[in-house]
Amino acid sequence: MSQTKQSMGPTAPSPHLRVSDIHKRFGGVHALKGVNFEVARGEVMALVGDNGAGKSTLMKVLAGAHTADEGQFFIDEEAVSVNSPHDASDLGIQIVYQDLALCENLDVAANLCLGAEPIKPGFSFLPRFLRPLDDLEMEVRAQEAIDRLQVKTLKSVRAKVGGLSGGQRQAIAIARAVGADGSVVMLDEPTAALGVAQTRQVLDVVKRLRDTNHAVVYISHNMRDIFEVADRICVLRHGANVATWNKNDVTPDQIVSAMTRGLDKEAQNAA
Amino acid sequence: MQPENKVSLVGRLQAMRETRFGAFVPVLLALAAIWIYFGLAVPLWEYWGDPDAQSMRFIFLSPRNIYNLFMQSAVIATLAVGITVVLLLGEIDLSAAATAGVCAALLGVLVLMGVPAPFACLIVMALGIVIGAAQGILVAYVGIPSFVVTLAGLLGFQGVMQKILPTGNLNVGDPFVRAFARVLLPDALGWALGILCVLYFAWTVLRKQSQRSARGLELDSPAATWGQIAFFGALVLATVATLNSYRSVPMLIVLLMVITALVGWVTTSTPYGRAIFSVGGNPESARRVGIDVKRIRVSAFAIVGLMAAIGGIFGASRFGSVSYTAFAGGSLLLESIGAAVIGGTSLFGGRGSVWNAILGALVIGSLGNGLDLSGAGAADKLMFSGAILLLAVAIDAVSRSGTTER
Ligand SMILES: Nc1ncnc2c1ncn2[C@@H]1O[C@H](COP(=O)(O)OP(=O)(O)OP(=O)(O)O)[C@@H](O)[C@H]1O
Ligand SMILES: [Mg+2]
Repeated sequence: MSQTKQSMGPTAPSPHLRVSDIHKRFGGVHALKGVNFEVARGEVMALVGDNGAGKSTLMKVLAGAHTADEGQFFIDEEAVSVNSPHDASDLGIQIVYQDLALCENLDVAANLCLGAEPIKPGFSFLPRFLRPLDDLEMEVRAQEAIDRLQVKTLKSVRAKVGGLSGGQRQAIAIARAVGADGSVVMLDEPTAALGVAQTRQVLDVVKRLRDTNHAVVYISHNMRDIFEVADRICVLRHGANVATWNKNDVTPDQIVSAMTRGLDKEAQNAA
Repeated sequence: MQPENKVSLVGRLQAMRETRFGAFVPVLLALAAIWIYFGLAVPLWEYWGDPDAQSMRFIFLSPRNIYNLFMQSAVIATLAVGITVVLLLGEIDLSAAATAGVCAALLGVLVLMGVPAPFACLIVMALGIVIGAAQGILVAYVGIPSFVVTLAGLLGFQGVMQKILPTGNLNVGDPFVRAFARVLLPDALGWALGILCVLYFAWTVLRKQSQRSARGLELDSPAATWGQIAFFGALVLATVATLNSYRSVPMLIVLLMVITALVGWVTTSTPYGRAIFSVGGNPESARRVGIDVKRIRVSAFAIVGLMAAIGGIFGASRFGSVSYTAFAGGSLLLESIGAAVIGGTSLFGGRGSVWNAILGALVIGSLGNGLDLSGAGAADKLMFSGAILLLAVAIDAVSRSGTTER
């Protein structure tokens, strides 16, 4: 605990999004056991940990897809509550889920705008959920988002997602999170299905987000990618913090060891 | 190794089902096959087989029969439209016909008690919504599978209907109720309405195309654009011509079209409809973008309840009576689910359209009507309906993308 506090302390920029003491239980599984996490604007915070460490669960809690059993949320050090996906997106938190969360039966444009569809003007006499969709605007926005990501293999934004490749789907999920104007963008293993060239594009997107003063959370198992884009690296193990380091203060070997054995073990081994 | 042409056939089927009008093709083919068989092949067969016959008798394709066919299919279609909405969610409603029966029975009793008929209709529609929503709450909030909830509903409401109608039958003579099926539009008005619909359809399609080009979006091919308009125009005008040449366009059909257009618009062109499709496609994704999945489920069941009530009113109007066998106890339920599925709405959720349900209802109606005309018994009707339904579901399963290897 003190280890974590200390390493986040003096050198860290002031956080934009900060959560503390997050607990999440699934029945008997205690997936998050008092996790602290933070990310500042203009930085990329990498989140690493072994399979089942709780990375995705933490991201889902931050995105409002799961509600935390306990824990506090702060945006710019002001307490907020995130109990639903709406709360999170209202706070500017956007996410690329590990499983992408796309609807295969809908087309690319519909997926990109899902839950935040543009509406034709002039129907304010109807309740919002019954106003006509502006599907042309939807296509325009989708095309822009796709173009910005430079997904060249996607022929049409009217193609059904069910017919796309894994990489194309991942690109769409990324475009959805990046296209919505949020201040926090969290990417949960966004390059898992991507080739070398597309992975490079995603890393460039991540850097661009940082350069445009976004707070970026990047989850990956690829140490090389992490050491390329991350400013800080937060290690989770068994649903608890191990440590958070500045990238320059740590080596990939240390990270891997912290992920798999934690710090105490390492200390024991050294002794 | 699969033979190559087989792969490409499935592939083409899948690709076709993805397009907006492609989804109509299987049901239209089924309809065409049934109409050709009963309309042309059977008369031809009888003509050749009977040396005394003076000329061929086209009974099935006569305007009089087509008129009856439309009226027979109207109640099925009304329920099928509602059932389509829950099927889009990946749910099912087995209680729709029983709900329709309860509503119709209550309508009959209310008008008999002297409640003004328009008011009674509203009460009955409200009842339908309440019944549907209550089942929806059990599905969405309690978490009971819709199959079980609505199966219980089916049994329960069959009982309720028998309680309301101890004799199993009640005549409904109220002029307001009867008017839905009896009032006919004057021929000229029928034509005017039909032509207006076609013009409006053409206008929206062409305007969309010009807006697309103005915004630099990809365009539909002119063949597809004009094909859509020609197809829609031919369908509407042929219908009006046929109905006019027997009697006229019945009010019931116009109402059915208006309701279907409304439900169709809501399901395809509003955030609510988009939410229905996304819940049907991937409920977890829908939940994570902030869609209230439970509310969507409840509301869809409320819609099917409302449509069942309207179907009950239409049925009472057409038959001039409410009977147990015409609704809760008969084949109406399976016919309307069959209509929705034959129309191409997927039982797996997320894919389908209410307009296809109308065509599916016509398929079911045509099959029953044709078999009746050729003197087939109830047994043949059941077996044929089963075969057609199986075929439709098979097409659905095969064309569902992702189930076959690409
Ligand atoms: N919806 C759920 N229901 C029950 N248990 C869950 C659920 N989601 C996660 N868990 C459990 O919580 C723990 C953490 O899972 P999580 O998905 O957060 O791991 P992760 O760090 O993202 O792993 P990976 O690298 O494999 O993606 C696991 O033990 C998992 O089994
Ligand atoms: Mg994960």
